Amino acid sequence: MLLLLLAGCGGDDARLVVSAASSMAGALTACSGDFDAADVRLSFAGSDELAAQIRQGVKPDVYAAANTTLPDELNKEGLLSKPVEFATNELVIAVPKDSEIESVHDLAGDGVKLAIGSESVPIGSYTREVLARLPGPESDAILANVRSNEPDVKGIVGKLTQGAADAGLVYVTDVNAAGDKLRAVELPAELEPDVTYAAGVVKGAKQPDEARDFVDGLSDGACADALAEAGFGAP
Amino acid sequence: MLRVEAQTRLGALALDVALDVQPGECLALAGPSGAGKTSVLRVAAGLLRPERGLVEAGGETWLDTTRGVDVPPERRRCGYVFQEYALFPHLTAWQNVAYPLRGVPRRQRRERALGLLERFGMRELADARPRTLSGGERQRVALARVLAREPGVLLLDEPLSALDARTRAGAARELASVLRQVETPALLVTHDFAEAAQLGDRVGVIDSGRVIQEGTPSELAAAPRSAFVADFTGAVVLTGVARSGPNGLTHVELDGGGAVTSTDRGDGPVAVSVYPWEIAIEPAAAARPPGSTQNHVSAEVLSVTRIGNRVRLGLRGPQPLAAEITGVSADQLGLRAGAQVIASWKASATRLVAI
Amino acid sequence: MRPFPVLLALALATALSFLTLPVVAIFVDSSPAELIDSLGEPGALDALWLSLRTTAMALAIILLVGTPAAYLLATRSFRGKALVVTLVELPLVLPPAVAGIALLAAVGPSGILGGAVDAAGIELTLQTAGVVVALTFVASPFYIRQAMAAFAAVDRTLLDASRTLGASEARGFRRVMIPAALPGLAAGTALALGRALGEFGATLMFAGSFQGITQTVPLAIYDRFSTNFDSALALSAVLVGISAAILVSVKLVQGSEALGGAPG
Repeated sequence: MLLLLLAGCGGDDARLVVSAASSMAGALTACSGDFDAADVRLSFAGSDELAAQIRQGVKPDVYAAANTTLPDELNKEGLLSKPVEFATNELVIAVPKDSEIESVHDLAGDGVKLAIGSESVPIGSYTREVLARLPGPESDAILANVRSNEPDVKGIVGKLTQGAADAGLVYVTDVNAAGDKLRAVELPAELEPDVTYAAGVVKGAKQPDEARDFVDGLSDGACADALAEAGFGAP
Repeated sequence: MLRVEAQTRLGALALDVALDVQPGECLALAGPSGAGKTSVLRVAAGLLRPERGLVEAGGETWLDTTRGVDVPPERRRCGYVFQEYALFPHLTAWQNVAYPLRGVPRRQRRERALGLLERFGMRELADARPRTLSGGERQRVALARVLAREPGVLLLDEPLSALDARTRAGAARELASVLRQVETPALLVTHDFAEAAQLGDRVGVIDSGRVIQEGTPSELAAAPRSAFVADFTGAVVLTGVARSGPNGLTHVELDGGGAVTSTDRGDGPVAVSVYPWEIAIEPAAAARPPGSTQNHVSAEVLSVTRIGNRVRLGLRGPQPLAAEITGVSADQLGLRAGAQVIASWKASATRLVAI
Repeated sequence: MRPFPVLLALALATALSFLTLPVVAIFVDSSPAELIDSLGEPGALDALWLSLRTTAMALAIILLVGTPAAYLLATRSFRGKALVVTLVELPLVLPPAVAGIALLAAVGPSGILGGAVDAAGIELTLQTAGVVVALTFVASPFYIRQAMAAFAAVDRTLLDASRTLGASEARGFRRVMIPAALPGLAAGTALALGRALGEFGATLMFAGSFQGITQTVPLAIYDRFSTNFDSALALSAVLVGISAAILVSVKLVQGSEALGGAPG
């Protein structure tokens, strides 16, 4: 992404650099071509990694995260405009198509291999919220089955599609994106965390106006439609 | 006793040799580069397998292609001295010498290695690495190492060529002495006939994969079978006993009769060498010219060989001699086999090497 | 001053600054006390110990298998040798991500040999063994290449001499070839070590990231840098220290060879 910023400007269209959480990869890639005001360059990674880069001085135009915490923090630090909540997502248990796992309680079973997000990435912190709402022994048993703390959802999905892990906690949009390789097991409503996505314009962005338009478009525009199609919910 | 027979193709070269070396004898194979000399050694050592070949040493058969016998090099008791000595760079001199001593407890290995180095006057340098040793010192370590193997056969590849001219003379004497002391048959190769003559009891001239002529150095020089041998053998080698004479000259009593004078220093048994083209020939009947610095030897012409516009004369005196004169002179003198002549050359053209 | 030498000096100064500044920054950005404290945080020491263990195991495999293989390639000719050499060197030019994919496709649970690995009762993905496999795969070409060059450069007559002195080929290999090739072998080991210590992409994709089991130092750095930059710095500093130590050791081995070493 750094190289993108270092590269000279080319073409007639202004270039808009958007850093977004991995879970939005499919949807945003599909809709970014429809953004007329500028040529959109997308960069996906864990929301925490993108936030760290902004703190180190990297300046994309838009930052879209898988939680509200990180954008709020950046806003308080004066690095981001006031964040706008533009979508919600649902945490689910993803399993291979032919898995016998039917509920969250099955995750505590003997020999179940789990892949979840690392603590510092939103998917990881949401997962730990879920586990914290479970009774202690069950939560411990599930944690004991964790075999990998992945830096982003892509890694979790990869472990599942490769058959390395038996189950993982990801967003329902990720299961959708994986086609028919994975199946989603719903979490009981009382465990479901509040997964709200928020975005803002980075202070010092090169194209602040186009950035504002893009952020607005996440709530109401081509990208909003694409997100809905991918399975994201309304804010 | 060593027997080596080999017939094989090596690139463009067709090697075809059959050699015998008796115990205590040193056969020197002399020839130009590319003649196949080193290949003969490698066949004997087991480093090269010929298409057809036989190697027998000390009653053992090391190679017999007709019977599918091919003993690997490590089980042939050969002592092979390589041209650049092939000392192991990461081992000290004594460790190099001790390398062939397997199954011997460490203390004894060191002692035996030191003993061998002592024999070559190298004991003080026992802990030195090869890279710090001079060419001559390295050669001595290589010899000591090979003797540690207690070999049944000695194979030497150009043992002196890696040395500078000054070291060479001394090293040649030492090597000749070592060769005389060991009872094992030794096969040596060199591109220098004088070296072969000095170190070998017999010399075989090899060219293009074949041994053209075999015999004592004097025989080869005196009666070359072909122009190539004649050209290759160069100097005449006589033997005699030297003692200092008046005017700083050395007087040499030749074995078999006759005497010569040399401007070289010498004392005791010596090899006398002179190049055939420095020898002048006159009919025996001619009056003797005066001058004590001229050596004269009476001889009978044995052979007349034309080499281009030169003529090589094989002569029989108290020892075999060879002279080279222009074709014109030979014609003028009307030389034929059986003619009696006087061979003359200067004392300053007479080289002495102690043997 | 003449222009050309000035240009050369300028080029060197630029290269030097570019290369040393990031490394120096690691040590300067935080105080040593902060760095040492961060090392005490959970996970940091685990990552260090795991990295050292897995790298050591990978290296042991690489040396054991790679040394004879390199020797064969360096000293014998056979039909198709050029192809074999290219195949052996291939992982060298593979991007780490591709290496990860390759390993999954080969010995991952859904891979070609996945069934066989499973049947043999071996677990690779999500296990330390998987890390060792990934490190071995990416680092071995670095060693084998150097080892090949080192063996090829040894005077062949040394081996001939060894054999004529009564040592079998195997003994000659151990007692003559390897010591003679040692500086090159040491350099190859250092390269492979460095590569293995720093391996990230293939490890993450193939073995996953779990403290104490698969989270090596590079993965630990990546896990922490957004939330705990000091800890990431501390781990980076340790890796720099280890890498520097490796480089120095190799120089020492090479230097001692050049100077002839101590007698006896």
